[in-house]
Amino acid sequence: MTTTDTNTDSVVLSMRGITRRFPGVTALNNVEIDVRKNEILGLLGENGAGKSVLTKIMIGIHQPDEGHITLDGQEIAPKGTIEAIKKGIGAVFQEGSLIPNLSVTENLFLCHEQGFLRHGLLSKRQMASEARRLMAIMKLSLDIDQPVSMLSPAAKQMVEIARVLWLSEKYGATNPIVILDEPTTVLNDGERETLFSILKDLKTRASIIFISHRLQEVLENCDRIVVLKDGENVTQMPAAGLQVADVEQLLVGHEFSGDRFRENEQAAPGDKVVLKIDRMSKAGAFEPLSFSVREGEIVSLIGLVGSGKEELCRCITGLEKYSSGSLTINDRSPQIGSARAAVLSGIGHVPVERREEGLALNMSVADNINHLVLDKLKKGGVINGGMEKDHARRWVAECLVKTPSINAACSGLSGGNQQKIILSKWLSSDVRLLILDHPTRGIDIGAKDEVYRLIRKFAKSGIAMIIMCDTLEEDIGLANRLLVMRDRQLVAELDAPPGRKPGPQDLIKLII
Amino acid sequence: MKSAGNSADAMGSPNKTAFASLRWLRRSGVMTQLISLALIAALFAIGTEGRSLSWANIQVILSLAAIPAILATGVHLTIVIGGIDLSLQGTVALCAVFVGLLAQNKYNTNDVGLWIIPISIAIGAAAGLLTGVLHTKLRIPSFITTLGMSFVLYGLAVFINQSRIISLPDDRIQTFINAQPFGIANVVLVAIVIVVAVQLFEDRTRIGRHLYAVGGDEALAKQLGVNVDWVKIVAFTIAGCLYGLAAVLLVTRMGTATSRAGLNLLFPTITAVVVGGVSLTGGLGGAKNAILGATILAILNNGMVLMAVNPYAQQAVNGIVLIVAVALTLDRKKLGFIK
Repeated sequence: MTTTDTNTDSVVLSMRGITRRFPGVTALNNVEIDVRKNEILGLLGENGAGKSVLTKIMIGIHQPDEGHITLDGQEIAPKGTIEAIKKGIGAVFQEGSLIPNLSVTENLFLCHEQGFLRHGLLSKRQMASEARRLMAIMKLSLDIDQPVSMLSPAAKQMVEIARVLWLSEKYGATNPIVILDEPTTVLNDGERETLFSILKDLKTRASIIFISHRLQEVLENCDRIVVLKDGENVTQMPAAGLQVADVEQLLVGHEFSGDRFRENEQAAPGDKVVLKIDRMSKAGAFEPLSFSVREGEIVSLIGLVGSGKEELCRCITGLEKYSSGSLTINDRSPQIGSARAAVLSGIGHVPVERREEGLALNMSVADNINHLVLDKLKKGGVINGGMEKDHARRWVAECLVKTPSINAACSGLSGGNQQKIILSKWLSSDVRLLILDHPTRGIDIGAKDEVYRLIRKFAKSGIAMIIMCDTLEEDIGLANRLLVMRDRQLVAELDAPPGRKPGPQDLIKLII
Repeated sequence: MKSAGNSADAMGSPNKTAFASLRWLRRSGVMTQLISLALIAALFAIGTEGRSLSWANIQVILSLAAIPAILATGVHLTIVIGGIDLSLQGTVALCAVFVGLLAQNKYNTNDVGLWIIPISIAIGAAAGLLTGVLHTKLRIPSFITTLGMSFVLYGLAVFINQSRIISLPDDRIQTFINAQPFGIANVVLVAIVIVVAVQLFEDRTRIGRHLYAVGGDEALAKQLGVNVDWVKIVAFTIAGCLYGLAAVLLVTRMGTATSRAGLNLLFPTITAVVVGGVSLTGGLGGAKNAILGATILAILNNGMVLMAVNPYAQQAVNGIVLIVAVALTLDRKKLGFIK
C-alpha cells in the first residue's frame, strides 16, 4: 500500500489502483481512494472525469479491470447493487430508484420484507412502525402511506438514504457507506440546510461520499475531498482551509491546450440573425431570457444540470412547450411545442441519447442519411432508388463515415460513425439552426476530431449552432460566444473569438 | 418539506376524522368506481321506475356479476404487472371441454365427481404457467404470447371436443352454486371469497407487493432485487387458476359442456377490469377494482335489458364504456407514445 494517510486504522473502504476501460475510453486510470469512518468525503470532478464510474464500481454495477477494493480489511468484489448493499455500500442517484406507485413504507423495505412476515402474511403494522422509526432517525415527518410519486425531490432523497441505512443495519454492516450523487441540485436552500444537518448527524454512524458541483457547499460540509480529472486522481486532501479557487485550479488541472478544437478554422459569424429568442420562459424550468444566434455562429450553452439549459433546448426543438415569450427562426415563428414544425422551419437536433433519439438504429446507413431529403430524391413522383444511393454515397464520403456499405444497419457502427451519420443527415437537409447536445459524448479521440471538423464545416456553410459539451474546454474551444445559465437564469454572455478565449476558471465562477 | 407540512395541517384540524376517512377512501383507489356505481344504479332506478332496485333484481345482478368478477380478478393480475392476458377464452374453452369429457367418462369406472373442480383449476394453472414461461423466458410481449396461446388452447379444445355438446350428469355443483343459504346465490359468495383472497395476496404477501413494483417500474424493480420473471410467471399462473375455476362454474351453471363456453368472454372481462379502475399501464388497482368493474357492467347490462334497449345498441354502449374508462384511467404521462 502506498497510502499517505497516517491513521490508516480508521479507513473503512479502500480502493487501490482501480482501472476501468470502456471501448475507446479509459474511464478510470489507477485511481486510489480511501473512505474513513465517520466522515463526509467530497468527490469532485468535471463531467466525464470518472466520478460516476468510480461510484458504480463501489456498488457493483461495474467491475474494475484492474485494482483491489478492501472493506474493513477484507478484499471484496461486489457483482451487483444487492451484493454491495448487503455489505453496507449503497448509493442514492440523481435519477432516483424509488418505485413511484408504491408507498414510502413499501419502497423502504422492497425486496427485503422477510422480517415482517407473521403467519405467512406481511404485518402492515410492523412495517409501519419500523418505517416511522426510520423517519424519526432521519428527522422526517411525512405520511408513510402516500405513494412516493407525491413526495418532493428532497423527501424522496431522504427516503432513499433511510433505505440504505436500514438495509446496512439489517445485514449487519457496522459502518455503512452512503454515496450521494449530486443530491443538492434538485433542492432549494432550505432543503439543502436540512440535508446537511441530517448528514452531520448521520456521519456519527456512517461514512458519506458526497458528489456535488457546488464547491462552496462541498468545502463547508465535507471533511476531506478527492478530486478526479480525466479518470485519474489529482488529489486526496482534508477540506479544512481550502478555498474555492484552489479547488477550481485542481478541477481544471493542466493548462488550456492548443488547437484541439480547430480554433484556427473558426470563422466570424455572418450578419443575418437566424434564431431570435425573445423573453422566452417556461414555468418551473427557466426564467424569461432573450438571445439570438447569427448565421454561422456557434453559441455554447453552459450550466449545471438543473440550470435550465436542457429545458431551453427542448423548447427550441419543439419537444416541450414554453410558457411565454417568442421564438423566431428566419423571421418565422414555428408552432409552439411541435417538433415537426421545428424541423420544417429548419431547426435540427443532435440528441445526447443518439442511439435512442437520433437514429433509426435498425435501418440502414442510407435510409438514415436520406431521411430528411426523401422529397428531393423523387423521379416521376416516386422515390428513386438510384438517387437514394447516390445521395447516401456522397455524404458517406463527405463525412468520412466508416461503414462496410451504405446498406449496413446503423446499430453495428461505432458511436463516432453513428454521430457522423446524424450530422450528415442534417447537413444534407435545409437545416438553418442545429442544436448539438453533447456531440462528442462517448466517442473516441479520433472521431471527436472528425466531429469538430464537421461542426466547423456546418458553421462555414452558414448554419447557426447551439452546443452543449462534455467539458468546459470543449465549449470554449468550439464556440464563438458563450451563454451561461445558473439557477434557471441566463446570467452571462461572453465572446470567445479565436486567440482571445476566456479560461475555464472564469466560467466556473459564473456557473456555480 | 412540503408534504409533511400538509399532513400535519390535516391532523391538527377539527375535521380530523373526516379528512382521514376521505383520504383513506381516495387512497383505496375505488372512490371513482363507487361513485360511478351509485350513479349508474340511480340512473337505471329512475329509468325503470325503481324496478332495477328490487331485491329480486339485485340478486340477478349479483349472480350476473359473479363469474365475470372471477375472470376479471384473474386478468387484472396480469395488467397490474404491466402486461395483459388475452388467453382466457382459450383457457376457459379447454377447461370446459375437459370438465365435459371427465364428467362423462366412458373409458373406465372412475367417477371424477367433485374432483373436477381442482382438475379444471390445475389445467388453467398449467396453461397460465406455460404462458408465463413463454412470455418471460423467450421475452415475447405478453400481448402476443397470450393472443397466440388463446388460439392454441381454443384450437386444442375444439379439436378434442369436435363440437359436441356434453350434458353433465352430476348436478351437485350446479345445485350448490344456485343455492341461497345466506340470501344470495352461493356463486356470488364464491366470487367474494376469491376476490378477498386475491386482495389479501396483493396487500399482504411479498410477491403480491412485488407485482406492483414490477408494474410501477420493471427496470428499477429488477435493479432492487425483485425476481421479475418469477413475479410475472406467478401472476399468469394464478390468473390461469381463476380461469379454470370460472370454467367449471360457467359449465355447471349451463348444465352442458362445450368448447363454445369460452366464446365472448374476453371483451366483457377486459372492460370490467378497466371500468374497475385498474390502470392499463400497470402498478395500480387490485382485486377489489375488478369486482367493482364487473358489478358496474352487470348493472349496466341488466338495466339496458330492463329498459328494453336494442341488443345491438347494448353492444355499442359496452364498447363506448370501455373507451371512456381507458381514457379516464390511463396514465399518459407514463407512455412515451401510444402503440
